[in-house]
Amino acid sequence: MVNTVILSPITFVYFISFFFYLLMMVMGKSSLGRIGTYITLGGFVVHTFAIILRWVESYKLGIGHAPLSNLYESLIFFAWTIILLYLIIEWRTKNRSIGAFATPLAFLAMAYGSFSPSINNRIQPLVPALQSNWLLAHVITSFFGYAAFALAFGLSIMYLIKRLDNPEKRNIFLNLIPGSSILDDLTHQMVVIGFLLLTLGIITGAVWAHAAWGSYWTWDPKETWSLITWLVYAALLHARMMRGWRGKRLAILSIVGFCCVLFTYFGVNYLAGLHSYAQ
Amino acid sequence: MAASKTTKNSNIIWTFFSSVNLTILLLIILAITSVAGTLIPQQEGATEFAQKLHPGLFRLFRFLQLFDMYHSIWFRILIGLLALNLIVCSLDRFPATWKLFKTSPRPDRSKPFENSPPEWSFTVRSTLKEVSTPLFELIGGQFGKIKSKATDTGLYFYGEKGRYSYFGFYLVHLSVLFIILGGIVGSLFGFEAYVNIPEGDTVNSVRLRSRGAPRPLGFEVRCESFIVDFYENGMPKEYLSDLTFLVDGKESKKWNLKVNHPVTFRGITFYQSSYGEIPGNGAGIRILKQGPEPAEFSMPMKLGERAALPGNDGEFFLAEIRPDFMRLGPAALLVIRPTERAEKRIWIFQDHDSIHERFPEIFERFPRLNPGAFEPYFFSLEQLERKYYTGLQVNKDPGVSLIWIGCFMMVIGFFVAFFQSHRGIYVRALPTKKGIRISVTGRSNKNPVGLEREVQQLNVKLRNLFIP
Repeated sequence: MVNTVILSPITFVYFISFFFYLLMMVMGKSSLGRIGTYITLGGFVVHTFAIILRWVESYKLGIGHAPLSNLYESLIFFAWTIILLYLIIEWRTKNRSIGAFATPLAFLAMAYGSFSPSINNRIQPLVPALQSNWLLAHVITSFFGYAAFALAFGLSIMYLIKRLDNPEKRNIFLNLIPGSSILDDLTHQMVVIGFLLLTLGIITGAVWAHAAWGSYWTWDPKETWSLITWLVYAALLHARMMRGWRGKRLAILSIVGFCCVLFTYFGVNYLAGLHSYAQ
Repeated sequence: MAASKTTKNSNIIWTFFSSVNLTILLLIILAITSVAGTLIPQQEGATEFAQKLHPGLFRLFRFLQLFDMYHSIWFRILIGLLALNLIVCSLDRFPATWKLFKTSPRPDRSKPFENSPPEWSFTVRSTLKEVSTPLFELIGGQFGKIKSKATDTGLYFYGEKGRYSYFGFYLVHLSVLFIILGGIVGSLFGFEAYVNIPEGDTVNSVRLRSRGAPRPLGFEVRCESFIVDFYENGMPKEYLSDLTFLVDGKESKKWNLKVNHPVTFRGITFYQSSYGEIPGNGAGIRILKQGPEPAEFSMPMKLGERAALPGNDGEFFLAEIRPDFMRLGPAALLVIRPTERAEKRIWIFQDHDSIHERFPEIFERFPRLNPGAFEPYFFSLEQLERKYYTGLQVNKDPGVSLIWIGCFMMVIGFFVAFFQSHRGIYVRALPTKKGIRISVTGRSNKNPVGLEREVQQLNVKLRNLFIP
């Protein structure tokens, strides 16, 4: 299929942009960062095209549906949402150092989808339960939420690295990372966006489950893990807004939250449940 | 939001439950305990797992209700504590929020202007009287109800947006209570059940998921037919049940039930959930006659239906069908009543050839299994007639509307709480030696960047108004 032939090399495009962002951080040359942005942007455009192509190709096979129906397609979409959100942040903050922490996440998602032998990249028809308009709403909200949490994770790692900053030793790498308060603020914004989208993802999932199986909530492992993730981020938001937590403790909570996201996404596949087609 | 200073605060229980630290603790405990339930098999899946456990451990797990954790007493207590915590926290902080909501600042404050940048001010050659009406109209057009004050020293305006945003978090908290309440209502007054209906059959009760006990519906449901369509690779593409609902034996409603499109009849909702195949009551029989007048034909037969043997030799009928006879696969029992000879009973098999390969002499040794035992005829079973049964999920949940109201409130609450802010905009016009100095500034409870943009925009509009 043409789309997979295009999508696999995009994995390396994101790796190259990661490499340029990293080079910028090490050598302190902003022109390298600009190259990184151009490469990321180029990759993103082709990536978008390939997703649309896959959509079109599914219709040509006579089993047309949005390319959001199995693990391969979700990984490709996950990488796409990470890059999109990152490009928006870069544009808003005018800071490219975040790229060195965001692009590797997209690279890893693409690499897992494209090169893991256990992942089937064929376009498969939809079983009756998946033939619902809620599929689009559920998957899009969930994955934008995951992407926002992924960026919050990247920003939290940056925050922890930034703490190593020593004013006496002028380190280019650490110098290019935005100030702690900016990182803290950005992390919070990403968590808020992610939390809202995760909530929407859980709600759309519940509405769909109610239509398909008759129960909006069955404590299936994926549902439960999404709730666990929700609880962790809810705790984070309360800690920040009501108890004034900032900095290191919040960064660690955000990292724990993202680990829950990863388990909700991948770990749950090792436990039986309703989301078996996402394997 | 500071805690209100009322007598309630002296109450130790109130203080305990109004603590946000308790909220964080409860959220984390709920998260950690929920993990256990995803690792330990729950409900139906628990039996197999429980058998592998050490007896002592098993007793401990059962005591802690870990095999149905999410419905255990202690998990419900945790949720109850969270609900109580949420109610007390909200009640505790509400008076302060209400005060914040109610108080409106005087328009002639000078403090908000103290740190505003110089580009937010400009001077026009005019008089207070001349600028008064245009200012009033422009700011009024932006904010609706505005407060103004005119003194000898100048003109003061105050307009604002998003005062209601203080209540966003209360809406979110209320939504959580709605969802918990919806869950309670559902578990108290609703049920979850299932039923399998073979094509053509009628049922009047369903089986409860929790106890396996039958529950009468109060009406009847008949599955007229079941239709399934497959993709080329064999995956099911679409399936639907043609259902008829009968009340007191009379047809009341007909419905094609599809996956993802449930139907509700008399408050009970039916969901197309699964399907399967069971033997029907017929089979395809093939007959081969050898000898001087050879004949060969196939015919579908119903159980008990009689058919004539070719050439007036007698008759035969289908006496029994089995989906799996003696572990040799689908089989049918034929009873042959010839006109001259004695009655013969023969089992014929669908997988005749493969059975013959596995057990080469089986048909010769057992005449009752030999399809050629009644010479000169040879019988074979083409296939058993199959029919489908439809698997329906049957639920009643009066709490579900509360859940959706809660979800809706939660999303609206989040938008209000996170993305709306209470912005107050101050405009003043002060007479100076060079003319009238107009300044704009603002206050906001969050999102300072958004506030700055709004002040800037108003500033530009005011400049355009007075400086052509």
